[in-house]
Amino acid sequence: MIWFDNVTCTFVKGAGLFDATFEVEKGEFVFVIGPTGAGKTTLLKLVYMEIFPDKGKVVVDKYNSSKIKQRQIPLLRRKVGMVFQEFELLSDRNVFENIALPLKVRGEKKREIKSKVYHVLDELDISDKAGHYPSELSGGEKQIVSLARAIVKDPIVILADEPTGNLDPVSSFKILTLLEQINKEGTAVIMASHNYNLIKDRGHRFIEVVDGRVSA
Amino acid sequence: MMETFLYLIAEGFKNLWREKLSVFASIFAIAIAMSFVVFGGITGQDFSRIIKVARSQYELQVFFSPMISDSEASRHVDEIIKIRGVKSANLVTKQEAAEIFEREFGENLFDLLRENPLPSSCVVKFDENVKKKFDVHPIVNQIKMIKDVEEVRYQGRLITIIERYYQGFFTIVTGIFVIILLGTMILIFNTIRLTIYSRRDLIRALKLVGATNRFVRFPFMVEGMIEGFIAAMLAGSFAYGFIRVSNYFLAVFTRYKIHWDWQVMWQFVGLMVLFSLIASRQAVRKFLK
Repeated sequence: MIWFDNVTCTFVKGAGLFDATFEVEKGEFVFVIGPTGAGKTTLLKLVYMEIFPDKGKVVVDKYNSSKIKQRQIPLLRRKVGMVFQEFELLSDRNVFENIALPLKVRGEKKREIKSKVYHVLDELDISDKAGHYPSELSGGEKQIVSLARAIVKDPIVILADEPTGNLDPVSSFKILTLLEQINKEGTAVIMASHNYNLIKDRGHRFIEVVDGRVSA
Repeated sequence: MMETFLYLIAEGFKNLWREKLSVFASIFAIAIAMSFVVFGGITGQDFSRIIKVARSQYELQVFFSPMISDSEASRHVDEIIKIRGVKSANLVTKQEAAEIFEREFGENLFDLLRENPLPSSCVVKFDENVKKKFDVHPIVNQIKMIKDVEEVRYQGRLITIIERYYQGFFTIVTGIFVIILLGTMILIFNTIRLTIYSRRDLIRALKLVGATNRFVRFPFMVEGMIEGFIAAMLAGSFAYGFIRVSNYFLAVFTRYKIHWDWQVMWQFVGLMVLFSLIASRQAVRKFLK
């Protein structure tokens, strides 16, 4: 489903990703580990095609980085759920509106949006927060909302970039458990983390990134 | 589709509200500047109406040689009518000239002189719907070239003065209009740029969840259009106030009143909305890659 074929993507000062080749299967749960600045975020950005390889290609579902057209990128991103360390929630919209955003973008009907958002809110047990604004939520709650926004569009994969980076251990554990729960329902998850202790005993595959070199 | 469209329109309105301070400042500045344009436009339109009335009063008197008959003069009148800018040319026969003489001086020429020495003539009127400067001289020159035309009498100096003032006014108003319009476009462009900058979190979030460029850009363009519309309506209100005040002072010196013209007002609003759309579209294209 996701295939990195000899991918090199460099930035100034020599940082980046070099000759990365690996594959992530449909429904798989993969941790991307490595120290800060190793290239984990670069790897995830390549998946949702915010950046493109200098060499090699990234294939996500039917989209190939070397052939994809600019107008196809939004279509790819509708199939990919994203969760970030900084949550990336809109502060002037409440929880319901934040979660509804990907569905609005897809042009879904109001009734469908309402039903899907409440379904996800129930699933993640945050229905009581629907009318709250991000500033009224704790870090853990914000990340759950961010997760809800990622899964509401029923993606094929969730990319989580250090989702527990700003959370306390209890919230981190909860987020990880939720990601595993989502994965069990068939959605692939790629989670980048440098917190090895949190993820070491979860029984999932590791992709290690050190100085831009990937060992899958 | 319709739902998305309505959502994007609503987002445009919400954007206005979210950036209310900068938007209000920009709308107010545009409205003040534009009110002069509306005032100029409406006064100009009124002035055009007066000019039209004045032009309908312009006339030439063409005198033919006393040696030619009325029927020959009539053929010459037909030639005059064909000249560009001439609206009508009415023949005054020798007999009619004598009658006019008798009406004005109370004397019958036949009784005095036993003959009618007055020539045939014609009264020429001009087309008052000329958009630009009306110049009587080319018409006069063409008439003078017609055989048997002995004299052309007209108020050349007065016509020239009226036309010169009208032309000057028209040029100044057009110049101010262009300058203010450009300034308005820059203001709207800048407001949208600031809005884009302050909404960068939203733009990023939208792009990450799969929004197309059109989806991201549309609310900003709606915002620009609404801004233009509100500014135009405000400018119209200000101009209406100026006109009321001007009429109050004009009443002291003259019977002339500037007439409010709704057609000019709505044309102006439409133009403003169009230019606002262009300005916001340019801003969005430049700053929202």
